[in-house]
Amino acid sequence: MEKKIEMPKLRPEMESGVLCAWLKEEGDTVSAGEPLFEIETDKVVNQIEATASGVLKKQLAEEGDTVKVDTAVAVMETE
Amino acid sequence: MICAPQERQVPAAMLTIQNVSHDPFYNQAFEEFVFQTFTDDDVFLLWQNSPAVIVGSYQNICHEVQIGALRRKGIPVVRRISGGGTVYHDLGNVNYTYITQTNGAVDYDAALGPVIAALNAIGVPARKDRVCDIAIGDQKISGSAQRMVGGRLLHHGTLLFSSDLTALERITHQKNDCVQSKGTQSAICTVTNIRDHLTVPMTIEAFQANLLDQMVPPDQPRMTLTPEQESEVCRLRDEKYRSWDWTWGKTPAFTYDRSGIFAGVPIHVTYRAKHGIISDAVLDCAVLDGSLAARSLNGARLDPDVFAAICRRLAGGAADELLDLLL
Repeated sequence: MEKKIEMPKLRPEMESGVLCAWLKEEGDTVSAGEPLFEIETDKVVNQIEATASGVLKKQLAEEGDTVKVDTAVAVMETE
Repeated sequence: MICAPQERQVPAAMLTIQNVSHDPFYNQAFEEFVFQTFTDDDVFLLWQNSPAVIVGSYQNICHEVQIGALRRKGIPVVRRISGGGTVYHDLGNVNYTYITQTNGAVDYDAALGPVIAALNAIGVPARKDRVCDIAIGDQKISGSAQRMVGGRLLHHGTLLFSSDLTALERITHQKNDCVQSKGTQSAICTVTNIRDHLTVPMTIEAFQANLLDQMVPPDQPRMTLTPEQESEVCRLRDEKYRSWDWTWGKTPAFTYDRSGIFAGVPIHVTYRAKHGIISDAVLDCAVLDGSLAARSLNGARLDPDVFAAICRRLAGGAADELLDLLL
């Protein structure tokens, strides 16, 4: 099943975040709880972990891109 | 304007681990080690660095500071694991680290509140300012940044007590606009030293002791690392914080374009850097070998020592002047 992973809203005031680094490549197998990517907003770097196991099918943002909250940044094929 | 002290929010149990090192590479490793190791407790650390520039996790060092000038002064650049901007540390500055649980939501006040209350309790008329600064009046005494991993929060900040503010402003206010990059950019603020706002004078040692007693009551654990743990910190220092890969290899991709004067004649330099490796270098200057420059720079690491060696090869005794135009 395809599952989209979105830019989380970490503060009420947060409108967007920077996708700083991918920690998994497209095609990588990912277990639930493993780190997927890092985002930065308002001086916080936050490591985002996978909530379900599967394969990282598509990276929808490049490192350094500013992405609005609730916008998809990755597609996972979950088990 | 001075605000009323905020309500104390110190949790029931908080421990501290003594760190007397002033080595900025060791201290970043110490903090990360504690963050990874002491996962069941709230932790409060106080520590100090000898003069160093500390950049945010995803910042472009080349944009933030004048690298040649820092190199000549022997001031190292250290990359940290939190977000935010570039800061200058010296022995007049006290760093604090506050490690606690997080539900994933960013709440600066949960970390800043106890620190501001502790500062107020020891006679520092501090208040929160902007998103996550601490100020006296309208002047900043503290900037902070955070990292969140797996339900744990690391919040850390500076406390300017008696820093060399002239050096701080000289180093952090000179941006390099020749660098075009996506990385996190720093804000520029008016700063002041805590020492200048105390009604009762205090040494920096007393300031640290008093602040620690407020944050970690005397009946709470005061620990030191075991020799084995210190070895782990040293390993992390050497393998990560002193490595080119972490400090320079993480530099966001950028393009560099600079026109200036070298040895009295015009010079124009352009190149790209991706994953810290130089490409597409063009150096145009009547008194320098542009072909040798391009051959030397293309494929080279973005590294002040590598660039300095290339500058010596190209410009001999005028290497410093050339380095300031290339980085």
